[in-house]
Amino acid sequence: MGSRFLLTWTKPFPAALGAAFPGLALGVLLPLLLWEGLARATAGSFILAGPSEIVAHLWANFGLMSRALGITLHAAALGFLYGNLAAVVLAVICVLLPRAERMVSALALLCFCLPLVATGPILRVLYGTGTGPQVTLAALSVYYTTFLPLMVGLRAAPASWFDLVRTYGRGRLTELWRVRSRAALPYFIAGLQIAAPAAFLGALVGEFTGAERGMGVLVIRAMRSLDVPATWALATVASAVAMIAYAGLGWLGRRLTVAPPAMLLAPPPQAQAGGRWRGPVGAVVLGGAVTLVVLALWWGAMEGFGLNRFFAKRPGDVWHFLIAGEGTAANRAVLFAAFGQTLGFTVPGYFAGLALGAGLAAAIVVFPGLATSVLPVAVALRSVPIVTTAPLIVLALGRGATGTVTIVAVMIFFPTLVACLQGLRQTPGQVMDVFDSYAAGRWQRLIFAQIPAMLPAFFASARMAVPAAFLAATTAEWLATGTGIGSLMALTASTSGYDMLWSAIVLLSVTASLGYVAVGWVERAVLSVYASEQLAR
Amino acid sequence: MPDRAHSAPPEVICQGLSKTFGGAGRPVEALASVDLTFAAGRTTALVGPSGCGKSTLLRLVAGLEEPSEGEVRIGGETPRQVCERAGLAMAFQDASLLPWRTARGNIALARTLARLPEDNAAVDRLIGLVGLDGFADRRPAELSGGMRQRVAIARCLVAEPGLLLLDEPFGAVDELTRARLNEDLPALWEARGTTTILVTHSVSEAVLLADRVIVFSARPASVIADIAVPFDRPRDRGLRRREAFRDLTDEVSAALSAAGPDALAAE
Repeated sequence: MGSRFLLTWTKPFPAALGAAFPGLALGVLLPLLLWEGLARATAGSFILAGPSEIVAHLWANFGLMSRALGITLHAAALGFLYGNLAAVVLAVICVLLPRAERMVSALALLCFCLPLVATGPILRVLYGTGTGPQVTLAALSVYYTTFLPLMVGLRAAPASWFDLVRTYGRGRLTELWRVRSRAALPYFIAGLQIAAPAAFLGALVGEFTGAERGMGVLVIRAMRSLDVPATWALATVASAVAMIAYAGLGWLGRRLTVAPPAMLLAPPPQAQAGGRWRGPVGAVVLGGAVTLVVLALWWGAMEGFGLNRFFAKRPGDVWHFLIAGEGTAANRAVLFAAFGQTLGFTVPGYFAGLALGAGLAAAIVVFPGLATSVLPVAVALRSVPIVTTAPLIVLALGRGATGTVTIVAVMIFFPTLVACLQGLRQTPGQVMDVFDSYAAGRWQRLIFAQIPAMLPAFFASARMAVPAAFLAATTAEWLATGTGIGSLMALTASTSGYDMLWSAIVLLSVTASLGYVAVGWVERAVLSVYASEQLAR
Repeated sequence: MPDRAHSAPPEVICQGLSKTFGGAGRPVEALASVDLTFAAGRTTALVGPSGCGKSTLLRLVAGLEEPSEGEVRIGGETPRQVCERAGLAMAFQDASLLPWRTARGNIALARTLARLPEDNAAVDRLIGLVGLDGFADRRPAELSGGMRQRVAIARCLVAEPGLLLLDEPFGAVDELTRARLNEDLPALWEARGTTTILVTHSVSEAVLLADRVIVFSARPASVIADIAVPFDRPRDRGLRRREAFRDLTDEVSAALSAAGPDALAAE
């Protein structure tokens, strides 16, 4: 889960495992035994399948599983390729045309906030059968998680390197080719590491929308038939794929790069080029400009490709449906009632996930013995796609509010935990030396030195968690609970209520984008006191 | 196509040079109407209080900043024209080596940037001259601070520029290493007769390396003393012990102390 997150570079995964072997025994083998015992104790309650049942199911269905996995992996790989190519192109545009950066970044964020649950069915109508939606959703899931660290990396070079290039009369292209591209490599790899499980998630969601074959189809089938061993087996396979991709790219990164990135992969938003437009006025001007450009692009794409107005709604259609046409009050009532339900799950889950993640990270620092057992497992679980865990949580906690809030919280929890642990470790050594010289206690260190040092990583995580929380809530509503805007989108997609579907897309994308920006404002206010160097980057 | 290699040492003329940073709200004047001529083939040291604008002057000469008023001419050309034919090279305080390239790769990079053909022999010769035999294939992280500065100087020289701009190139190394670098490296550019402008915080370094020391006032920088250094070359560490050397450093220090209360803090 949390595959949509951008966090700091983690300790090499196999190295972390190796260093923590005694903890690993405690952290992995013991839970496996407990898991098996619990599964046997609750046999017949349709909640838990134990490791032995999972292995048996995989053995019995090896052919089916491997074919499905191959199909999903193929779509995910194509989406991974296209999404990352898009990220590279966007980042290069921003570097070569700095004035375009804020607009490009805002558009990229908005696209990232598009709810996969709604875009999936529309893409299915658009593409028909085949792997088009899977590949597109996989690409949409990864481009932003690569774009952000790539932008950081392309700037992660001292000014004097660029001065060096300029003293030989060379321009931005040489800078890009000789300096920036290589300086960005560690950041690019770190972005790819996060993107790999995200691509798998996108491909799975694409398969939910009516594909004929693939892991997503098996997941839907297993859930509908309450096939507990199959659900757990699929979740295990998907998790394994995500972890292997994450670890494999981490290994590749260590082979290719000289040093891992030292900065946040998702630094705070800041006024960059075109510094005239800063502050609230700048935000309003940018927001207005982005709105106009989005509306123009939306309308232009629909008209340009000649898409059928039946399913490819234009901005005017949404306006007519919600504001200007007949029965708009009823339409709005339905939409906002569902949206209110979703917010009721998303907001508590979001804050619970953040609080638990940061809280456990702090506890691990205060009681370091916990780290060896918790950290390798947390790093691994961070990469597991939410769609594989959502059915398990629903099996365990039911289809009510508790299950959905828990799914959102789990989606947020692991990335926040890993980010905060990384942040806590970045407390400057000299600062800790000062505390040592006064023989300060572990709580004093935590409160006065380590938590302030953790804040940049915490806020980077909190910002990226906003769209992730909506993704988790709507996915849970769609797959399991039958309430909220996720369910409404699924229902309207199946009944061809495309006006409502497009309205839901607009509402969710705008809300997630505004939430992201709002957390960014809080972040800037807090970091200006506690970590002003992060804002200067 | 202009000749890129073996640039003749140029004369550098700064006329009415002013530089103001920041917007209309909070302008910071770094340089105020500086008129200076740097003689061809000679080494000139710029000293002054921290933040007075010495490095800004160097960056204006390098074409890395545009003057607010006035102009820089290098052998009759603009800085950008000189940059485009690789007629100058600049060394920075932190060596600014690319960490993914070896020492040899960092030195060779300057020829690539200068659009000169590869010349492994020239690179290897310079590696030997700066005393890095055996370290050519090491990356910057595997080199000491002094070794990194040697690589940076070799990188400056490999394209054989006529003008060398040194912005506190030895400022980030310890005193012993600095003394060694002061002895070993200047001979490389002195032998070529390169026009050299050196920004330094060290009065003794300025007197040891330069033919002329210019003392700047606190910001905005203006010239408050222009002191000729009459010692013959080559100069060695024995020079530091001579009374004439001490007298000259005292003279520069006195001018510097008049520049502002913080001017001698770095000494």
